[in-house]
Amino acid sequence: MNSKTLQYILKRLLLAILTVWVVITVTFFVTRAIPGGPFMSEKAISAEAQAALEAKYGLDKPVFEQYTTYLKDIVTAFDFGPSIKNRGRDVIEIIVDGMETSIPLGLTAAFSALITGIVLGAVAALRRNKIIDKVIMVITTAFVSMPSFVMGVLLLMLFAVTLGWVPANGAADGGLILPIITLALYPMAYITRLTRSSMLDVLGQDYIRTARAKGVSKWKIIFGHALKNSLIPVITYFGPMLAYIVTGSLVVERIFAVPGIGRAFVSSINDRDYPMIMGTTIVLAILIVVMNLVSDILYKVVDPRINLE
Amino acid sequence: MKKFLSLMLVVVMLVCFTACGDNKDDDKETVKSLAVCLASEPDTLDPALNSAVDGATMIAHLFSGLAKWAQKEDGTLEIVADAAKELVEGVVNEDGTVTYTYTLRDGLKWSDGKDLTAKDFEYSWKRAASADLGADYGYMFEVVDGYGAELNVKATDDKTLVVTLANSVAYWNELLAFPTYFPVREDVVADEGWATEAATYVCNGPYVISSWEHDSVITLKKNDNYIDKADVTMETLEFYLSDDANNMLSNFKNGDWLLIDDVPTNEIANLKTQYPDEFVVSGQIGTYYVCWNVNENILPADSTKTGAEAEKAKAEIRNAIGLLFDRNHIVEAIAQGGQVPASSFVAMGMTEEDGSEFYKNAGSSDKFDGYYDVSKDAMQSNFDEAIATLQKYYKYDDATKKFTNVPSLTYLYNEGEGHKAIGEYLQGALAAVGITMNLETQEWNTFLNTRKNGDYSIARNGWLADYNDPICFLDMWTSISGNNDVQFGKGAHKDLAMFNLDLTSFGYDVKVENGTWAETYDVLISTIKGCSDAAKRYDMMHVAEDMLMESGCIVPLYFYTDLYMIDSSIEGFYSNPLGYKYFMYTTVK
Repeated sequence: MNSKTLQYILKRLLLAILTVWVVITVTFFVTRAIPGGPFMSEKAISAEAQAALEAKYGLDKPVFEQYTTYLKDIVTAFDFGPSIKNRGRDVIEIIVDGMETSIPLGLTAAFSALITGIVLGAVAALRRNKIIDKVIMVITTAFVSMPSFVMGVLLLMLFAVTLGWVPANGAADGGLILPIITLALYPMAYITRLTRSSMLDVLGQDYIRTARAKGVSKWKIIFGHALKNSLIPVITYFGPMLAYIVTGSLVVERIFAVPGIGRAFVSSINDRDYPMIMGTTIVLAILIVVMNLVSDILYKVVDPRINLE
Repeated sequence: MKKFLSLMLVVVMLVCFTACGDNKDDDKETVKSLAVCLASEPDTLDPALNSAVDGATMIAHLFSGLAKWAQKEDGTLEIVADAAKELVEGVVNEDGTVTYTYTLRDGLKWSDGKDLTAKDFEYSWKRAASADLGADYGYMFEVVDGYGAELNVKATDDKTLVVTLANSVAYWNELLAFPTYFPVREDVVADEGWATEAATYVCNGPYVISSWEHDSVITLKKNDNYIDKADVTMETLEFYLSDDANNMLSNFKNGDWLLIDDVPTNEIANLKTQYPDEFVVSGQIGTYYVCWNVNENILPADSTKTGAEAEKAKAEIRNAIGLLFDRNHIVEAIAQGGQVPASSFVAMGMTEEDGSEFYKNAGSSDKFDGYYDVSKDAMQSNFDEAIATLQKYYKYDDATKKFTNVPSLTYLYNEGEGHKAIGEYLQGALAAVGITMNLETQEWNTFLNTRKNGDYSIARNGWLADYNDPICFLDMWTSISGNNDVQFGKGAHKDLAMFNLDLTSFGYDVKVENGTWAETYDVLISTIKGCSDAAKRYDMMHVAEDMLMESGCIVPLYFYTDLYMIDSSIEGFYSNPLGYKYFMYTTVK
């Protein structure tokens, strides 16, 4: 890795920190601007109790002071504070709990999508216009156009209720199989189509023809030359795919009752659990920023023609 | 590249195996263990802090208070002594306060083996009632003398608890069975996170928490230190946590969960026919209603009425509009869950001193129960009456049979299929007579805020009882109450001196003519709260409800029911009118 690359990474890192700071600031003020509050409930608590609680969570102070205190706690101690809704639990504790499920779920979905997508895409490209290509294309079109909440419910009804092969509860043994499939289908289909078109493009290039003419074996051409170059668009898709999986998991975790971070995020907003909203937003923002960074760097590694400047 | 690919493949396979590996344990108990799902992760399992029904159900399995809900031989429920030897009668003091002296049973222990004493109760009650704790249900101790300063409760020795109430309270025993009144131990709750992990959770009831996987499942096992452990038939309870009714139903259908406490609204009709024995509709004390903002001007733009005259006209209009709604249609075609059309605000299930239904005695008619006739036959006459009333105030076009100058209204409701469908029905019913009502939906927390602040004209509302006494439906409408969404005695309504109150026939020196809401309704409620003569007390509560209903601001639609699904293999299960479910005495066939 040359100094230019290092410089680039450093620059991107600084930019990433700036992005996260902007996310923190905007989220902080927006959550406090929306009507309602964490102590709002159908049955009102007394004014004294409300005051005592606000003092306990520092919500009685001016908003800007709350903001600076929050930033200080984050930067100096990585302290997200206590959850207001789940009294007695720290935000970081809840996030770590959720991540223990969400990360394996998301990563498994991402890598299964990647592997199956690339394999299917390559097969379709190599068997262009044959029956197998047509079948793959029809199926992937269906998966690309079907939203994950529809797919999730369908899979749940079929495999968990009608056939009873897997549990309907995401927390049970084997319960993550369906959520993983639901999350993976869309990116898998997308990657298949991406790989196919890019592979067809590469297979038509002069250097492939040259290699063929030189008598290089078919498999060497495919794995040594064609596949690698046709993966470039796939790698650029890596960042958006992770973003899709992170946001998709908000819905999917609910459908399958998966005890992940997505559910915690959604309910924290409904509850106006300010520290929890902040904590989950920051963690998800960091995740997406880092993944985009990784994808950009990978891009450079695979394709030396890319100028990072 | 090949290496890279194969390496990735290995990683994927490893992750797959660890994440979703097929490691089913086959030794899962089937008969000694019961898996159910009530709701998602409870906000808290601290008895003092809890205000949710699902939390209360779990706490009822984990703690034992002075009293508890029990099922009699004939299947009905009663409140019986639990940690107390008996539910004693109170002694009325000279100043009208009432003192109860309870003796605890011998051999009471906490789940960690330490002795449970009367001091634990004293500490717990004072803690739960304190403003510092800020518990939603802190006001449940309002009836105890000294509430707001120091509760008049004292453990005179390890076994004796003496508590003094401000006056006699008809539902006192029921309060003793309420989770807010359950004991916790001072050294345990000193750690604020005590009620969030199995390891730190110390309780005194039939079960202990053996494991707690957050957002996933809470497992309870029989408490060896529980004094009545021999009566507990179910060894293990698994409370699965899910916030999605469709997911719950899937798990019920495939037999993994034997009870689910929520069903998807749009599936109700199907479930009733597909699962006639398992789909249960049980009574719940609560009212689904529509509330008006009392300060909203609904008179025609050219109306010259002001002050009391305007308010009287508005009350008549609101009452008339309330008659336009077909409550039978709402419960049969929309809600579909066995709800009962409501003709009063105090819900069905609330009983008088003699055990008769409070709502049946409400209103002045002897032809029907409550304030208006909600039978199907009466719909047409209600409609005609409403039109006739409205014609006094608005222009009516006889050709189209529609009013032409009713100011347009906006109906505010919170997100939810059922609320939306009801809103659309109400809109249609009013449109049929020429009244425009727009629909506005808001997310729950925003909705509560808007409604509380009175920034609406008409809104969806609902109220569930905390205990079997009509006062919990009535004291929320005083001018100082935080739950007074109608805004009685607030804003412009505050200065309206037009209400009358005469309590001389009840032996009180209270007679107000043309008083404000605060001078009449607030006084009435505080008189009821201080009254120890049950008959008079109930009569005065009817007077209070009459005042509410006369304003027309509260339009009851139906009385709630509790819907759940329970597998037919479960025996010994019961639930109480507050919706708490009891599994400790169940067996699975």
